[in-house]
Amino acid sequence: MTALHATPAGLPPRLPVRDRSTAAERVPRGLSPMLSRLAAERATGVLLRERGTLYLADGQIVHAESPAAPGLDVLLTAHGTLSADAWMDAVNQADERHGAARLLLDSGRIAPGTLELCHLGALYDAAYFALAPSSTPGRFRYGTGHWLGPVRPVPVTSLERETLRRRVLLDRIWPDHAADSAPLARADPPRPPTLTGRQQAVLALLDGVRTAPDIARALGRPTFHTLVDIRRLAAAGVLSPRPQEPAPPPLPTRSAPRPPGERPAPNDPDVALLKRVRDALEAL
Amino acid sequence: MANTETSLKEALTSIEGATGVALVDYTSGMALGTMGGSKTFDLSVAAAGNTDVVRAKMRTMEHLGLKGEIEDILISLSDQYHLIRLLSGRGGNGLFLYLVLDAKRSNLAMARHQLKKIEQDLEV
Repeated sequence: MTALHATPAGLPPRLPVRDRSTAAERVPRGLSPMLSRLAAERATGVLLRERGTLYLADGQIVHAESPAAPGLDVLLTAHGTLSADAWMDAVNQADERHGAARLLLDSGRIAPGTLELCHLGALYDAAYFALAPSSTPGRFRYGTGHWLGPVRPVPVTSLERETLRRRVLLDRIWPDHAADSAPLARADPPRPPTLTGRQQAVLALLDGVRTAPDIARALGRPTFHTLVDIRRLAAAGVLSPRPQEPAPPPLPTRSAPRPPGERPAPNDPDVALLKRVRDALEAL
Repeated sequence: MANTETSLKEALTSIEGATGVALVDYTSGMALGTMGGSKTFDLSVAAAGNTDVVRAKMRTMEHLGLKGEIEDILISLSDQYHLIRLLSGRGGNGLFLYLVLDAKRSNLAMARHQLKKIEQDLEV
């Protein structure tokens, strides 16, 4: 004890402590600090993230797209709500002043309620993937709108709250996200459960090649909704994800130590987990 | 021809005793639109929770092998009625209308009838 006090110079410097009150002001709490900032400054433009794109107007989300989610065109045309021709006409005629949505409504080919709900479905679905944890920072391009035009803008806080709720919902059903993107195959549980009509439609498309987004597109349903069914089927043991790639022959490398500087395989599940943890910490 | 907002507004203003209404997607549990409610009654939370009610009933019917479709579900509390009316959306997702009524001020049979009419106007 005396030794410590006698040599104050030998003590390590105090570790820096982040002032949480000012940190909260600087980085608003949310899934993407950048998105919260754009909402605060009422920005208009396009936010490009690793797994999807969000379109903003006056700080609100007006549209979202993701390679993992079927587009509005698929949701509208798959069930005969709108003919593919009518959709193409509106897309081709859309310009800066008259968005495709306005043209569709004016032509009377679709009811406002139908378009609004399909659009919200597509928006929240794509945004769920666009806001997924990413390994690269997002980029924002100011200024450009979307050719669809306004339907029903969604506040950023609502979108983030719903995206978080969806993550919790999926994890509550079956806390393993391996089935979300891997090719899916049928499995034979000893006691097959009773399946709903929606689940049977999903099950009929399992062939060991199709992934969840493929199945969603084939059925004309949002991918998140398909994931709800897929996680339930996985929990019931009716479905199992197949490994992404057949494992390469491990013999030559098994005993050899990894060369210095070589990084672990990027599809190591721990890396994905660590990225999610990092994103969650950054959002604090 | 009505959008979600006008339909929900109509439900809230024209149905006697209505204190809150929501249009809910029951696969995701998301409220696609809400109107009414209060600080102590969060309609988004009610929407997500009642999704489980609808799902449980549907599963039970499948276990029993019942082929009929659910038209509506009534939950009566000591001072409120909660009415759930199922509708099928064109986007391939099941939806339901969720209506909260003050038990003292409402006419249940009338409310059911009006909710059915609002569903027809909604064109989802």
